[in-house]
Amino acid sequence: MTTAAISAVPVRTGGWRSRLRRRRPVLNVVLALIAIFWLVPSIGLLVVSLRPESAFTQSGWWTVLTAPSRLTIQNYTTLFSQGLRPGGLLDSLITSAVITVPTTILVTSLSSLAAYSLVFGRWRGRDAVFLVVVALMVVPVQMALLPVASLYKLFGSATGFNPFGTVVGVVIFHVAFGLPFGIFLMRNFYNGIPRDLLEAGRIDGAGEWKLFRRVVLPLGVPAAASLAIFQFIWVWNDLLVALIFLGGNAHAPLTVFLFDQVRELASNYWIVSTGGIISIIVPLIVFFSFQRYFVRGMLAGAVK
Amino acid sequence: MARVVLDDLTKRYVAGTVAVDKLNLDIADGEFVCLVGPSGCGKTTALRMIAGLEEISDGEVRINDRVVNNLQPRDRDIAMVFQSYALYPHMTVYDNMAFGLQLRKTPKEQIDKAVHEAARILDLERFLERRPGALSGGQRQRVALGRAIVREPAAFLMDEPLSNLDAKLRVQTRAEIARLHQRLTATMIYVTHDQVEAMTMGDRIAVINEGVLQQVGTPRELYEAPQNRFVAGFIGSPSMNFVAMTLDQKGGEPQLSGDGATVKLDDAQAAALRDRAGGPIMLGVRPEHLDVGSPDGPGLRLTATVDVIEFLGNDELIHAQSGDRDIVAIVDTDVNLKVGEEVVLRAEPRRLHMFDPDSGLALART
Repeated sequence: MTTAAISAVPVRTGGWRSRLRRRRPVLNVVLALIAIFWLVPSIGLLVVSLRPESAFTQSGWWTVLTAPSRLTIQNYTTLFSQGLRPGGLLDSLITSAVITVPTTILVTSLSSLAAYSLVFGRWRGRDAVFLVVVALMVVPVQMALLPVASLYKLFGSATGFNPFGTVVGVVIFHVAFGLPFGIFLMRNFYNGIPRDLLEAGRIDGAGEWKLFRRVVLPLGVPAAASLAIFQFIWVWNDLLVALIFLGGNAHAPLTVFLFDQVRELASNYWIVSTGGIISIIVPLIVFFSFQRYFVRGMLAGAVK
Repeated sequence: MARVVLDDLTKRYVAGTVAVDKLNLDIADGEFVCLVGPSGCGKTTALRMIAGLEEISDGEVRINDRVVNNLQPRDRDIAMVFQSYALYPHMTVYDNMAFGLQLRKTPKEQIDKAVHEAARILDLERFLERRPGALSGGQRQRVALGRAIVREPAAFLMDEPLSNLDAKLRVQTRAEIARLHQRLTATMIYVTHDQVEAMTMGDRIAVINEGVLQQVGTPRELYEAPQNRFVAGFIGSPSMNFVAMTLDQKGGEPQLSGDGATVKLDDAQAAALRDRAGGPIMLGVRPEHLDVGSPDGPGLRLTATVDVIEFLGNDELIHAQSGDRDIVAIVDTDVNLKVGEEVVLRAEPRRLHMFDPDSGLALART
């Protein structure tokens, strides 16, 4: 596979690629402009969060270009100095993590297991089940909010534990809505794993669990990593579900915390901007730490 | 070490197709048996049923007198080398070989010893820490072999292990597997579509066509005494020429005649064909047994026009037209034939094979 890829490159250069290369300086400038344009709001947010609270009402953030010395990290220290007070930034950060991390782990692992069974299991109706799962992907979250809430209530009256209004309830909701896409992604990836590998494993003495753990799961790492990143970002950025299921809760996630700061007349822009930057940083860290798992050509050398 | 017995082994698919039909084979301990046949003949399916990767529809597989039909592959004490090698791409060569032993909870030192021993035999010691992706095709093939031998299984199953190698490497690895077999004295069941591989490696060969076993025997038996037309045509390269003929009497002497061809039968052949007078006979003769300009006598005499000459070095491969038949012969280069030349090709009586044109079964052998 690799040799084919290498030899294929020079063949193609004769056409549009070489034309592209000649125009590269122009193209690069255009791309850079688009990128900067795209980044302006985020840069603005960052600058606002680094300016004193009082400066917000006096001048626009772009005036910082003339006086960069006025930047300060005071907003950050103020926010963090509030400590673990319920309803504070640190508390909401932790709540966000408590929701997002288990959801991500659950969705990734359950999707992998389900995909293994859908691809390598030997039971009838696997394809039908997969079709149903794919169909579930089009169900909008908004449509399910009320039914799930009343399901939770039903569950509560039966068992004494009503997940509505708790972190557990939010996690269950996110996992349920994350699974269809997760299963879809993992199944399609596992489908590309040669069956011979599993048969070799069976002859080597592996049962289903060992095959999953030692053969399929390691090969599925690139897909699992991208699923984990997607899932993490979606849940981390979710406002709707958290607002409805955790709206009245003392411990709200970061999105709800920020939402509470936006008021009709006098929003706490210094909190919104500072909290916004913090909420961007976490998914960025996740993204860059998982990025190394996107190993291409993982299957090279398996067969042939 | 193991004796492997296939007893009426059958694979029937839901759609009704029969991939393997009542296959009977008794493979002795330490024997090297090749299952050979054209692609789609059911040989791989048979092997996979022995391995436990394919469900058995009917019949039995016995390994050392134990029926293994319902045993998992891992409980059958077999190892398999796949056509695609099926190496675990995320593991090093060492781990690829050690995996089976690790799963069986073999002590670490023992695994280490077995893996290094196998690596030494297969000349893989330098590559133990590499991943399969960083190996050449031949090296991967050896890792696949190594993975099989570290387990010291009762029987080795090999599914076309050489088909992904280039011609030179194939010859080399063929010898390597033969050596390995002598060294391990293990039972080996080897599937291939390449009759040359089967002939060179197998103690015995089982020829399969359309799911049905055609003949089992040593390479020599299959070559010299094919039981039917399929085996005759499949074994040997280039394959046997077939000439449709009729048995008649000429001056009291029974003989075969066809378009441009006659066979003077010797006494034994005449006796064997006695009750077929006037009937059709399919004559078979191998290209290497056809000669130009041998003296008169019993045997085949066939007139043909040279069509194509392929120079092989010591010999020439001649394609010739005889009537509407294409005849292939291997003749000495010294004969110096030219394209368009008319030649008389001859073959000795003992080199002739005769088949019933309808059933394809062999009629007379002398």
